Amino acid sequence: MNYVIEAQGLTKRYKSTIAVDNIDLKIPAGRIVGLIGPNGAGKTSALKAILGLANYEGKLSVLGKDPSKDRAALREDVCFIADVAVLPRWIRVWQLIDLTEDIHPKFSREKCLQYLSSTKVTLNHKVKQLSKGMVAQLHLAIVMSIDVKLLVLDEPTLGLDILFRKQFYTNLLNDYFDEERTILITTHQVEEIEHILSDLIFIQDGRIALDATMDDIHQAFSELMVSPDKAAAARELNPINERELFGRHIFLFKNANREQLKELGELRTPGVADLFVATMTGGQS
Amino acid sequence: MNRLMALIKREFWENKGALRTTPLVIGGLHLAAVVMALVTFNHFDNEFQSLKELLRFVAQQDVDLRSKIAYGVSLEMSVMFTMVLAFVVFFYLLGSLYDDRKDRSILFWKSLPASDTLTIASKLFTAMFLAPLIFWVVYVLTHILFMAILSVVVIALGENPWTLFISLGNPFEAWSLTLASYFAQSIWALPLYGWLMLVSAFAPRIPLLFAILPPVILGVLELWMDFLKTFTINDNLFGLFGHWFANSPVILSIDINTDDTGVESIGAGLGVPLTGEYDHAVTVSNMLDRLFSTDMLIGLAIAAVFFAGTLWLRRRATES
Repeated sequence: MNYVIEAQGLTKRYKSTIAVDNIDLKIPAGRIVGLIGPNGAGKTSALKAILGLANYEGKLSVLGKDPSKDRAALREDVCFIADVAVLPRWIRVWQLIDLTEDIHPKFSREKCLQYLSSTKVTLNHKVKQLSKGMVAQLHLAIVMSIDVKLLVLDEPTLGLDILFRKQFYTNLLNDYFDEERTILITTHQVEEIEHILSDLIFIQDGRIALDATMDDIHQAFSELMVSPDKAAAARELNPINERELFGRHIFLFKNANREQLKELGELRTPGVADLFVATMTGGQS
Repeated sequence: MNRLMALIKREFWENKGALRTTPLVIGGLHLAAVVMALVTFNHFDNEFQSLKELLRFVAQQDVDLRSKIAYGVSLEMSVMFTMVLAFVVFFYLLGSLYDDRKDRSILFWKSLPASDTLTIASKLFTAMFLAPLIFWVVYVLTHILFMAILSVVVIALGENPWTLFISLGNPFEAWSLTLASYFAQSIWALPLYGWLMLVSAFAPRIPLLFAILPPVILGVLELWMDFLKTFTINDNLFGLFGHWFANSPVILSIDINTDDTGVESIGAGLGVPLTGEYDHAVTVSNMLDRLFSTDMLIGLAIAAVFFAGTLWLRRRATES
C-alpha cells in the first residue's frame, strides 16, 4: 500500500532536548488525521520535518519523496498553513492571488475568487487591513484552490472566534476534502474537529501515545457514568481513567465488555478531549 | 522562468517605496530645483541682468565648450540617482531575507513551490538589475523633462534651443554610460551584496548592526595590532574598503578641463573629486578594467562564499 506519509524512527533533536523521539507513522491517502498533543509535545517539530522545513534523523517519505531534499518539488503536492497570520502584511489580495497563480502550477484562480466571494475580503484589501478571521479565510481560500494531495494545517484557527472556526472546518470538509486527498491537522480545540477526523494520533513527549482510526477508537473505548455506590464495582474492571462530575463517577474503559458495563450505569462514546486527558495523564485526573 | 519573474514582481511590490517612489522623488526635486532657479533667476546676485542676457552670453561661447558642458550636465544629473541607489540597494538587501523571518511570512513563502535558491536569486536580481534599471529610467526621464523645460524657457526668450544646447550634448552617450556603470557597479559590488544577504539571512535582529560591527571591529583590531607592531598605520581592512569603494565603476564626478575659458570643473561640487589615483567610470574601458581585474576575481570568490552561506542559512530559517 502506498502511504502519503511514512516515517520510521523519525527523530528531531534540538541542542539539548529531543522534540520528536523515534516515531513510526503511516498515513494512507484519503484520511483526515488529527495530530493532538499538549504544548511542547513535538507536534510542530514533526510537521516541520514532514514539510521539509527542518532537518531530522530517521527515515521519512512524503508522497514518495524525501522532504529534506525535495522541498521545492514536494511543495507542488503538499500545501500547508503553519499557524494563523503568516500571510505577508504588506501584500494586497490581488497580488497574493497573482503570485500564487504564477508560482503554483496547481492553483485555480476561479476557485479562489469563488471562495472569497462568500467572505468580506476584497481584491484590493491589504492583508494588514483585514481582521484575523478574514486573514484566515483568505489563507484557506488560497490553500483550498490549490489541488494538492496533502494539506497540513498547524493550529489554523488559533485565536479565531467560534463562528470563524466552525465555518473554517465546514468549508474544509464540504468544499475541499475527497478520497484522493489527505489532511493533517494539529489543534488544541479538539472538540471542534473530532467529528471531521478519520484518524487520531496522540503525541506526548515526542512519542506517539495513540494512533488509531476513529472507528477503532469508538470500538475500543467506552465511557461509563455511575452513581457513587457503584464506583467501587466499576473500579474493579480496570478503567484507564476516572473522574468525578456532579457527584457522579465517570470511568473510561479500553476494550471492556460493554454488556458488563451497561449493568453498572450509563454507557457513552467518549469524546476525544476526555480520551486525550486520560491518555496524557495516564491514571486519575 | 515564470516563477523567477513572479518572485521579482513580488520584490517590486514589497519595496515599491524604495524602488519606485524614491527615484521619482529625486527626479521631482531636480526638476523643482531647476524651475525654482529659473523663476528666481533675477534675485540672484549675478553678473547678468536677466536670463535673456545669460542665454545671449552662452550662445556666443565656443561650440566645443558648450558641447562639453551639455555632456557634463547630462552625466552630472545621474549622480544623485547613483548615490541614493546605493543606499536603497544597501538597505533593500539588508532586509531582503530578514523581514519575512521577522513577520513570519516566510512560512507562507516557503509553502509555495519556489526553491530557496530561486528566492535568493530573485532578490539578488532585484538588487543588481531591477533597482538600477528603474533609477536609470527615472534619471533619463528627468533629463528629458529638464531639457524640455529649458527649451520652453529658451524659446520664450527668443533663442533657439536646438542650436543652443540640444544638438550639442548627445544625451544618449551619457545615458548608456550611466546604465553601463550601474550594471558594472552591480558586479563590482557583489562581495558587499553577498555580505549583506548573509547578514540578512543570519541576523536575529537589527541586521544593520550585524552588517557593520564585524568589519568595524576587525578593522579596528587590525589597526591597533599594526600600530603596536610598527607604530605606523599601513594597509589595513579600512584601507581595503576605501580602495574598493573609490575604485567603484560609478560616475561620481565629471572633470571637464576648461582652463582656457575660466569655467571650472562642474563635477567637483557634487561628487568625489578626481585624483590621479582613481579615475572614474566615465569610459567603458575604465569599467571593463575594473571587471576584468584580479581584485574582481578575489571579490567574486568572496561573494561566492557569502552566497553559499546565505543559501545554507535560508534553508534552515524555519528550524525553530
